[in-house]
Amino acid sequence: MSAITMENPDTHSGISNAKLGVWLFLASEIMLFATLFTTYIVLRMGSVAWPWGWDVLNVPLAMANTFVLISSSVTIVLAYVGVYNKSKSQFRLWMGATLALSFVFLAIKAVEYGAKFEHGISPATSVFYAVYFTMTGLHGLHVIGGIVLNAVLLAMSWSDDCWNDPLFLGRIEGAGLYWHFVDVVWIFLFPALYLL
Amino acid sequence: MAKTSAAQHDDHAPNVKLYMGVFAALMVLTVVTVWISKFHLSIGSAVALGMFVASVKAGLVAAVFMHLWGEKKLIYYALGLTVFFGAFLVIGLIDARLTRGNVTTPMDVKAQGPAHAPAHGEAPAEAGAHH
Repeated sequence: MSAITMENPDTHSGISNAKLGVWLFLASEIMLFATLFTTYIVLRMGSVAWPWGWDVLNVPLAMANTFVLISSSVTIVLAYVGVYNKSKSQFRLWMGATLALSFVFLAIKAVEYGAKFEHGISPATSVFYAVYFTMTGLHGLHVIGGIVLNAVLLAMSWSDDCWNDPLFLGRIEGAGLYWHFVDVVWIFLFPALYLL
Repeated sequence: MAKTSAAQHDDHAPNVKLYMGVFAALMVLTVVTVWISKFHLSIGSAVALGMFVASVKAGLVAAVFMHLWGEKKLIYYALGLTVFFGAFLVIGLIDARLTRGNVTTPMDVKAQGPAHAPAHGEAPAEAGAHH
């Protein structure tokens, strides 16, 4: 057995198995969103005209959502700092803030969707709206998945067994990696759909 | 203070000052992205600039928040493979578009705006319909 696995039973590669697993999962997610972005490019290139986001979407709301999601990326990294420093209160504060910002993001998105539905706009309205609802909808589902994951981890911090588990820091890092990925997807979605 | 075993082998020492610096940069770059979009640049320039700023933002998140900067080589190999196969996927689909012409029929931009959405009770079939 190598020196690394002797010292660290949760790794066979120098990287914890969980972290490697999260990165491989994110690799599959990159492929998923790459396919959707390619679909967007192909449909847009194939269209004689394409609406400008400023004319048909609510850019200020989407910009606010960008600020919210970026802020949540910072709060989850601060939650990681809390676990790293073995500070339960710091972890709970920042993970709670991450969850609150996640709900703000969904609420703003709901307002945006609601305005569209009020005007009778749906994915069936046009190719542009089909792309818009598919991409932002799938991203929204990822946000919901992140909320569930982060809420479970926050609840686990009330259990001493979980908190003192040597793998807890890795779990928070994995959740953080996923959440940052969700942020990165939005960073590309925002200009692609709303601004260009 | 005792550290966890996970922390012993591959964690990343937090740097809160750096996180805050990146946070500020991301906020400023978001404003820059929106500001750029207000100029009526050609679609090529607008896409190039917009995607460049988005790539810088994504790079900052990945390098600092996701700790890719200074990560183990195995992660780089996994991501490199993803990019390699992802390129096949993207280039293949875009090539199909280029070799087969328009994949959609022309759309009327005005028909896609909220102002032209069908009123309540009207048939929505014509909104964004092909012309």
